[in-house]
Amino acid sequence: MAQAQAVQNAPRSSGDGSMTTGNPANPTDWSVGWHPLFWGCGLIMLANVFFWYWNYAFMFTAGLNSASAEFTMYYWTLFWGELIVLGVFSGVWLGWLIRNGRAIEGQECSPAEETRRIAILWSLIGATSLAIYLMASFWPNWDGSWHQTMVRDTAFTPTHIPMFYFFFPLSVILAVGTYIYGRFHIPALYGKDKGFPWSFFLLIGACVLECMAVAANEWGHSLWISEEIFSVPFHWPFVIYGWLAAGMFAVWGETLVRMFEVEKAEEDANPEASLESPIAAD
Amino acid sequence: MATETTTVTDLAEAAERQRRLELKELLNKKYKWIDWKWDLVFWTTAIFVVAGAADITKQLFAGDWDFWTDWKDPQWWPVVTAFATIIIPSTLQYIQWAAWRFPTGATYTACCLFFAAWVGRYFQWDLAATYPMNFVWPASVVCAGILMDWTLMKTKSFILTSLIGAHVWAIAVWAYNYVPLAAFLQPAHFMDHVVTVADVQGIAYIRSQTPEYLRLIERGALRSFLGETQYVSLAFAGTAAFVGYWIGQFIGRYLAVWPIRRYLKTV
Repeated sequence: MAQAQAVQNAPRSSGDGSMTTGNPANPTDWSVGWHPLFWGCGLIMLANVFFWYWNYAFMFTAGLNSASAEFTMYYWTLFWGELIVLGVFSGVWLGWLIRNGRAIEGQECSPAEETRRIAILWSLIGATSLAIYLMASFWPNWDGSWHQTMVRDTAFTPTHIPMFYFFFPLSVILAVGTYIYGRFHIPALYGKDKGFPWSFFLLIGACVLECMAVAANEWGHSLWISEEIFSVPFHWPFVIYGWLAAGMFAVWGETLVRMFEVEKAEEDANPEASLESPIAAD
Repeated sequence: MATETTTVTDLAEAAERQRRLELKELLNKKYKWIDWKWDLVFWTTAIFVVAGAADITKQLFAGDWDFWTDWKDPQWWPVVTAFATIIIPSTLQYIQWAAWRFPTGATYTACCLFFAAWVGRYFQWDLAATYPMNFVWPASVVCAGILMDWTLMKTKSFILTSLIGAHVWAIAVWAYNYVPLAAFLQPAHFMDHVVTVADVQGIAYIRSQTPEYLRLIERGALRSFLGETQYVSLAFAGTAAFVGYWIGQFIGRYLAVWPIRRYLKTV
C-alpha cells in the first residue's frame, strides 16, 4: 500500500521523458500508450496469414504422408523454423523486459506515466487475447476439418504444426511477458511485495495447461482413438483449461480499478487542472 | 398513521432523488485519462478471448453435432448444443451485469461466437476442405442470447434466469436453427431407401476419418416415441442448459471476478 501511495504521489520527474517535460503527450493517445496493441496484433496476424497461406499451398501436396520427402521439406522445416523463431523471440523479448524492468525497479513514476504503462499492459493483453482466439477457434476449426477427412499418421500434422507448436507456446510467451511487464512497470498492482496475482496465475496457467494437454491428447490418439470425434472426453481438458483464461478479465478489472485510483490521486493533487482540461484531445 | 406514511414516502423519494443526482454526477464526471479509448480497446480485444472460449467449448463438447447437417438430429443435437453453448454466455452475462448492470453478456458472447464459427466454417471447412457451406453451417445462438439477457433484465436474478432463461435458451437454440435445418430434413429417395436430404449429404461428402462414416446418424430411439421425442429432448436440453448456466456462473464469479486484486502468498 505504501508503495502504491508512493507511486500515486510521485513527482512527474521520472519515467518517460517525453511525458514529463515540454509539451506533454497524452499517455492514452493511440500513438503513445496503445501503440503496442497495433504492433502486437499486426505481427500475430501476419504470422497467421503466413501459416494460412502455407497450408492452403502445401497441405494437400506435401502434408498427407509424414514419411515423404515433401513432408520433410515443407512441414518439418516449418516446425523447426517455428521453434527457432519462438525461441529467439521469447529470449529477446522476455530478456529485454526483465533487464529493462530491473533498471527501473524502485523508481517512482508520475500518474501520467503509470497511465501509459497500464495502457501498454492492456495492449499486451489484447495481443494475448488475439493469440488465444487463434489457438482456440481458428486453428481448431482447421484441425477438425483435417482430422475428420485425413488419415492420422503423425502427431505433427499440417494443422498441428502451426496450432500446437506455434500459437499454443506463443500464448504462454505473451501471457508471461505481460506479467513480467506488469511486475516491474506497475508495482502498485504487481510489485514483488504483493505476491503473485491470481489473475495472471489463472491466465498463464490456462496457456501452460493447454500445451500440456497436447501431450495427453496425442498420447490418447496414439493409444485408443485414432479416429476423430471432436467431442470425445479426452478432448475436454482443452476446454476446461481454456476456461482459466477468464483470469484475463481479472487483469482488466484490477487495472481499471487502479486507473480510477490514479485519476483520484491526480484530481486530489491538482483539482483545478483536472477540471480545466478533463480529457486531452488526440 | 397517514402522516407517518407520508413522511416515510417523502424521505424515500428524497433519498432516491439524491441517489439519482449522485449517479448523474458520476455519469458526467470528466476524467483526465480515462476516455472512450479504454472502452473501445476493452470491448474490441475481449471479442477474441470470448470468441475463442465460446467456440472451443462448443467444438469440443458438441462439435460433431454442430459440424454437419446430418448430425443435427432431434435427439442429441438439441441437448449437447444447448449445454455447450450456454456456458460462456452465462460467464459474460455475470461479468457484464456485475460490472456495468448491462444485460448484454449473453448476446455479446453469441455475436462473438457467430463471428468465430462462421470464420472457421468458411475458411477451414469450406475453402480448405471443400465441404459446401450448406453441409457445415454452424448453429447460431444469437436469438437465444437476446432472450436470456432479456430474462435477466426483467428478473434481475441469476437464479430465476437459470431456471427460466436456460429453458428459454434450449428452446430458442432449437427453434432458431430449425428454420435453416428444415430444408435438409425433407425426404429423399436414395439408393432404394427413403432418407433425408441431410443423410444424402452425409453419404455424398465423405468424412473418412470419422467412425463408421457411411452411416445414418439418426437412430431408432427417435421413432419409438413417434413425434414426441423432440419435445422430450427439448425438456432435457433445458435441464442440461441449467447445469451449463451454473458452470458459466462459476467461471464468471470465481475465475474472472473473484481474482481481482487477490494474490497468492508472497514468495
